Amino acid sequence: MNKGMVFGGRAACFLPIILVLCLTRNSNILPVAEAIWLTIPSSGTKCVSEEIQSNVVVLGDYYVIDENNPDHIPTISARVILLPFQPNSPSGTREWRVRVWRASLGEGLGITMFDYNVIYLGLALLWVTSPFGNNLHHNENATHGQFAFTTSESGNYLACFWKDGSHQKDSELTLGVDWKTGIAAKDWESVAKKEKIEGVELVLRRLQGIVETIRGNLIYLRDREADMREVSEATNARVAWFSIMSLGVCIAVSVLQIWYLKRYFVKKKLI
Amino acid sequence: MEKRWGKKWALICLFLFNWARNVSSLSVTVSDMECVYEYVLYEGDTISGNFVVVDHDIFWSSDHPGIDFTVTSPGGNTVHSLKGTSGDKFEFKAPRSGMYKFCFHNPYSTPETIAFYIHVGHIPTDHDLAKDEHFNPINVKIAELREALESVTAEQKYLKARDTRHRHSKLLPFSAFALS
Repeated sequence: MNKGMVFGGRAACFLPIILVLCLTRNSNILPVAEAIWLTIPSSGTKCVSEEIQSNVVVLGDYYVIDENNPDHIPTISARVILLPFQPNSPSGTREWRVRVWRASLGEGLGITMFDYNVIYLGLALLWVTSPFGNNLHHNENATHGQFAFTTSESGNYLACFWKDGSHQKDSELTLGVDWKTGIAAKDWESVAKKEKIEGVELVLRRLQGIVETIRGNLIYLRDREADMREVSEATNARVAWFSIMSLGVCIAVSVLQIWYLKRYFVKKKLI
Repeated sequence: MEKRWGKKWALICLFLFNWARNVSSLSVTVSDMECVYEYVLYEGDTISGNFVVVDHDIFWSSDHPGIDFTVTSPGGNTVHSLKGTSGDKFEFKAPRSGMYKFCFHNPYSTPETIAFYIHVGHIPTDHDLAKDEHFNPINVKIAELREALESVTAEQKYLKARDTRHRHSKLLPFSAFALS
């Protein structure tokens, strides 16, 4: 088992942790065995997001370590927020999503991104929603945290992690995030216990769940494609009408000009 | 006898599902370089995935050269690389186990949002089980079935992300036009 030869020596400190996590997956020590790992930069913020439909279970686990100083136990703050959007609005023409970047000079230059929903109410009136939607999870000064919620509306769900002020400026923290939505978030052990199934039947039940998710996704994609096609066709018709109308206006104006100039020169007895 | 057989199956299957790892499709905003790390437990595992630049922020023209994508193995070698794309699928066999680094590089300073999905798939062989358990070919078939379903799910996530991208890039000029 070659533990030493791992990329850049990075995992030299957390490889044993990961092995322990993987072997003790079903315990609750630090359930981030299936996580992806990100780095929180020196400026201090890292956000991950996903567009999720309504009525979907979301489970998240996060864990932060400082691999440059293994003895230091870092802490971060985490927040999960919802930025609402309307994916299937039938008109598709009166709502926009506007992204704004705000730069702030605090401990170095930080750039935060805000999404606003702008809705056209008619008569040149615009309604702008607030950037932070519902706050689904908020945690300060933690090394490890968990959140679980069921989405009540579809939208862009953003999980952001900040370094707390008590850190050295240049240390990069390593963050492990285990983000599961939908069928991956289902607790199969409780299903097995409740319905008393095990072995191959449990495995096949899981596969059936995956197949049902696939079918649901397929229907969703088909509906979105239908919406896009309708908008495309409507726009196509409008473009055609607009070009014919502008051509007609051009021809009418040129005919009018010729007629007027002819009348003018005849009047001035030049022709 | 039945109960013990069932429990052994449950144990085998729990191990099976431990080693077929899956990550939900997430989006990150890349200003310059963003790296995602994923740990691969077994040498020879198939790492598959896709990524799509969701917010091709230039609404009115597409001068952006695209995103560079590199996968680095634990030894420091570049296993896979794509240059100047706005989204693609990838699949390769992991030459060794360890921590793999998936990096997105944005050559321009405009931040781009990238939706990515990475899946590490493992088909169990008879080396995985303990000495006193005998190898059952149904485990392999179930694992292959699960991998096939995962590939369908990955494809759907790719289509969904691409559809979101087209929706953001096309519906905006269309809607401005339709308003007029």
